[in-house]
Amino acid sequence: MAEKFQLNEVEVWDGNYAASQALRQAQVDVVAAYPITPSTPIVENYGSYVADGYVDGEFVMAESEHGAMSACVGAAAAGGRVATATSSQGFALMVEVLYQASGMRLPIILTVVNRALAAPLNVRGDHSDMYLGRDSGWIQLDAFNAQEAYDLTLCAFKIGEDMRVRLPVMVHQDGFLTSHTAQNVYPLDDDTAYKFVGKYQPYEEMLDFSKPVTYGAQTEEDWHFEHKAKQHKALVDSRAVIDEVFEEFKKLTGREYNRVEKYLMDDAEVAIVALGTTVETSIVAAKKLREEGIKAGVVAPRCFRPFPFDDIRDALENTKAVAVLDRSAPMGAMGALFNEVSAALYTTPNRPLVTNYIYGLGGRDFAVNDAINIFKEAKANADAGYITTPIQQFSGVRGPKLGFFETKRGK
Amino acid sequence: MVEIRWHSRAGQGAVTGAKGLGDVVSTTGKQVQAFALYGSAKRGAAMRAYNRIDDEPIINHEKFMRPDYVLVIDPALAYTDNITENDKESTKYIITTHLSKDELIAGIPELQDKKDRVFVVDAIQISLDTIGRSIPNTPILGAFVKVSGMFELDYFLNAMQRVLSKFPQKIIDANMEAIKRAYNEVK
Amino acid sequence: MKGVLATEKRGIRELGAEEKVGWDEVPQGVILESFEEVLKENVAHIRPEERPYSDFNSYTATVASWRVIKPVYNRDICIDCQNCWVWCPDTSIISRDKQMLGIDYDHCKGCGVCVEVCPTNPKSLLMFAEAEEIEDALAKWPEKKKKSK
Repeated sequence: MAEKFQLNEVEVWDGNYAASQALRQAQVDVVAAYPITPSTPIVENYGSYVADGYVDGEFVMAESEHGAMSACVGAAAAGGRVATATSSQGFALMVEVLYQASGMRLPIILTVVNRALAAPLNVRGDHSDMYLGRDSGWIQLDAFNAQEAYDLTLCAFKIGEDMRVRLPVMVHQDGFLTSHTAQNVYPLDDDTAYKFVGKYQPYEEMLDFSKPVTYGAQTEEDWHFEHKAKQHKALVDSRAVIDEVFEEFKKLTGREYNRVEKYLMDDAEVAIVALGTTVETSIVAAKKLREEGIKAGVVAPRCFRPFPFDDIRDALENTKAVAVLDRSAPMGAMGALFNEVSAALYTTPNRPLVTNYIYGLGGRDFAVNDAINIFKEAKANADAGYITTPIQQFSGVRGPKLGFFETKRGK
Repeated sequence: MVEIRWHSRAGQGAVTGAKGLGDVVSTTGKQVQAFALYGSAKRGAAMRAYNRIDDEPIINHEKFMRPDYVLVIDPALAYTDNITENDKESTKYIITTHLSKDELIAGIPELQDKKDRVFVVDAIQISLDTIGRSIPNTPILGAFVKVSGMFELDYFLNAMQRVLSKFPQKIIDANMEAIKRAYNEVK
Repeated sequence: MKGVLATEKRGIRELGAEEKVGWDEVPQGVILESFEEVLKENVAHIRPEERPYSDFNSYTATVASWRVIKPVYNRDICIDCQNCWVWCPDTSIISRDKQMLGIDYDHCKGCGVCVEVCPTNPKSLLMFAEAEEIEDALAKWPEKKKKSK
């Protein structure tokens, strides 16, 4: 029987430590991992919990991230609660197996500490790996600080394992900005946390020898489409379960989560839409601008997948101008978040002016002043009634101003 | 919001120090943030650690900072690193050195007009005397407690004892002694 | 010999202090050029002190400031066995025609491996505080140790 871990009411934890504690409290049956910066401490801490008797489950060091996720798939199909952690190149190596996990409807939990993708080699945070996973069929929750990395990891088990969902879940946090930044975290005690997550309920487990099953069979054009359609529906329909779990978590802790988070949006004229720590830094900027009379607000998808098409639309339809920030090199397109937010807003009567900012690649600092400048450009667009800048701009890159595409509206 | 920037070398304990300070601060009911920026993350390379302390939850994640306190825990970095970068009219400097304040300032032109805001303590020597190793992070905290007046010394020592509780008593005692000495010796 | 141990280009800037350019000027393909010009012959045939190292080559960078202690070399005892040259993890032992010349203090990080592997008695390399003058260090050199039975 695993030992209980004594926790204080308030701890000073970084995001990695917070995530590893949540994994420990969920009493995972199998963690198979191959550590990589900046998520290494999640695996390292978890290993020490195992060594010190705080975990009853198995800890498997794999030979690669591909192997780690493959072991997770096997363990989950066998009927266990399963989790792991990765970042960047490790995530990229896992991608092939990510689709297997979701296709087999295995509720594996993957804590992703977001990091840039090479080349150039870079260990710092951006959202390249998160974006790489966006079509993989996983639920993707996004934490903006260490507390949320802890909370959402606990919620992830409950969401993914729900019999109405049965899908794998990623919990994202920003490399270094969250993973290596210690902040006040208010953890639950072990019993309360475990009670919230609940005992693992197996579903069609391979190790039930009274009912042998095959996982991930081959299907061609005769069966493939139906399976993928069912999986997509499960992902879209998981919205209701996510809401339920967040509601239950709020009752337990007082901490509120929504699939789309809104800050200062009641009367907002201009808004930033972003992911990760940038959301909070942008709130600081919005508060400052409100002192100058600019009605600024911030909207953030807490849930990147399933994409909250409806809630994003509701949150933004009364604004005049929206700046969507993508922390991933878009490589020949508009940023992914921009595209999805724009698509949602296209279905509103009001159709706010939407611009795209590529920023913070490879961990480049996103300062309060950067957010202020972006808000001010959005305000200028709102006042002019058309987009006054290129639709896509690079913010914070050295060199001549870099922007693409002009508007055909208004002007 | 109180903001602190640590100048250190990788391996000298600035990250541990910043997190330790964070731990203590959290026991007072305040909110804290502790993070670090490495250049090349190799032992001996110059690096910086940061603290933010506030009554409200800290949601600013920018790395840019205009510090209220600059803690320099490596004597040479006072000369080679840009310790006055983005400072304010009120920024206070606590620098570890075996030199007197006047001798130190004589060698650092940027500090000439900030004399009344510069404090010196030989944190390296104190850590050698008490802990037996060159770990200047705990003594610099003792100096910080004195200069900032943020805590009573006894309160800080008690809280620090809890933070260090996983270590053997001998090490805890040595660290307590280091903090006390730096508190009394900082000038 | 002076030219080999301290050339005009070696260690002329702190690591990371190279000029930063914009997106329009960075080289395509994340390529770092080792040299400022195309060499007229195979680089292996050009001695390091004669190579036109570029600003992005670590030869022109210094990490001397990372060091807290440094190795000091005593020519009078050295037997040119090349152990230190083989073991140094930062190619900071400068040797020419199998003769040990000295230490590259721009790249040495003071790890002390060279001292560990030195077989002479007393050792021909010893660690001293970074601030210690070379002459003073040499003056303090220990005597030959008698073998204990």
